[in-house]
Amino acid sequence: MSEADVAFLQRLAPPTPSSYHRLNPFTKALAAVAESIAAFVIGGYVGPLAIFGLAVLPAAAMAGVLRRLVRVSVVLTLPIAISVVLISVFTRAGSTVLFTVGPFDATVEGVDFAGQVLVRLITLSTAIGLFGLTTEPRAFVFDLERRGLSPQLAFAATATLEAIPAMLERAKVIQAAQRARGLDTEGRIADRLRGVLPLVGPVVLSSLTEVEERTLALEVRAFGRRGRRHLLWTMPEATWEAPLRWVLLAVLVVIVAARLTGAWPAIP
Amino acid sequence: MTAIALAGLVHVYPEGTRALDGVDLEIPAGQRLAIIGQNGSGKTTLVRHLNGLLRPTEGRVLLDGRDIRSLRVAHLARQVGLVFQNPDRQIFAGRVRAEVAFGPRNMGVRGAELDRVVGDALTAVGLAGQADTNPYDLGYSRRKLLALASILAMRTPVVVLDEPTTGQDARGVARVQAIVAALTAEGRTVIAISHDMEFVAEQFPRVVVMRDGRIVDDGPPGAVFAPERVGLLASTGLVPPPAARIGARLGLGATPTEHALLAALRTHRR
Repeated sequence: MSEADVAFLQRLAPPTPSSYHRLNPFTKALAAVAESIAAFVIGGYVGPLAIFGLAVLPAAAMAGVLRRLVRVSVVLTLPIAISVVLISVFTRAGSTVLFTVGPFDATVEGVDFAGQVLVRLITLSTAIGLFGLTTEPRAFVFDLERRGLSPQLAFAATATLEAIPAMLERAKVIQAAQRARGLDTEGRIADRLRGVLPLVGPVVLSSLTEVEERTLALEVRAFGRRGRRHLLWTMPEATWEAPLRWVLLAVLVVIVAARLTGAWPAIP
Repeated sequence: MTAIALAGLVHVYPEGTRALDGVDLEIPAGQRLAIIGQNGSGKTTLVRHLNGLLRPTEGRVLLDGRDIRSLRVAHLARQVGLVFQNPDRQIFAGRVRAEVAFGPRNMGVRGAELDRVVGDALTAVGLAGQADTNPYDLGYSRRKLLALASILAMRTPVVVLDEPTTGQDARGVARVQAIVAALTAEGRTVIAISHDMEFVAEQFPRVVVMRDGRIVDDGPPGAVFAPERVGLLASTGLVPPPAARIGARLGLGATPTEHALLAALRTHRR
């Protein structure tokens, strides 16, 4: 391997700051999915809050990303949370009316429902946010490819993940070119807004051109070839991670089955 | 007309690379100057300071004695036109004509006057017949010429060309040379970065040599490419133009251009 290859691989799996970061991406992904599904299936307040408090929070603290996680999940869920609260509080039918705003009655049942949705949302967004904050997206996709995901799908996934940073980079380049030719994008807000419009078309167009060029570049390097590939690099994985994943999966199946069959009564 | 002065210019990129390490340079209005040096010696970083795309970490950039620190790029673009090395980092419009019109339009040129400056610039680079083509359908060398035209149309007092002859055939190089000559005839300053030593020796009365973010030599091609300075030039990873090398091997002294070499040969024979 050349020096550049080694550097590239090290960027994918940097010397990570915590043992949670160092978990295999697939393990972290499964944990996030299991926690989210369990929170929704169990319902009520106690279940989702227990998952949040006993699984997600300690893991985030261990990874040292607690503050960032709270910030990210608040930003991501706030718009949904506000609309969910408004809709369920005011439109849910119920017998006990708390107060009235215009034609809308706020009922106790509505407030209760909104609360239950909120705790699920908090658990879901922090579980997935924790995965996102502790995992390099490309490392996750490469790991999936090692587990048998088709290279085409893996490419589509990485291309999507990288499309946004690539477009931002492209926008920066075009903006520099436009500024160098007298387009004012500094200074007053009105100037800045005016400066955005001439960016949109070129960024979209050049992204399309780039897709075509990238496809050609991949094809001339035998991307479409069938059969297994040899990967230069695999994501590290501790020996106990596979059993842990099976345990997680089994617990999830039991919870879902118990709730569906009614063997597990609803808890508040 | 615009005189340029750089004083103690230092630029450190965010990741820590010290690309410019104390550059002092004065360029009188109307001068034609070439900057040479190996890749990574700081040439492009230097010229990006002239229109504010990069700002000094230390030191000052003066246009006509005025520090440009507080001036915006859009404002500086009226004085300094910069043709990027890579046309794909400069071209963004969907039509050749729109690409060339973008700069002058931002400067307030409209209507028949706009058509005229766009037409003139396209004619100068030989793309007059391609005004409605999509730039991506042009080959690399023509995209470079289009990037050049889009700056020419702005009629700035200073024109900076970053590697203008790369990828050009003899006709393309001749075109660039004619454009440089025409700009000088109009009294405009031309600064070119180039690895094309023949182009530099033939076209530029002043050559600045850079190495590791500093200026290590500065003079006419006859001096910079003189036999006794070959060692200095080699330390920057550069080789003098062929005429200078032949002249040196024949012991004819400094012969940076074909013309100078032939003249030296004639004198020698007599």
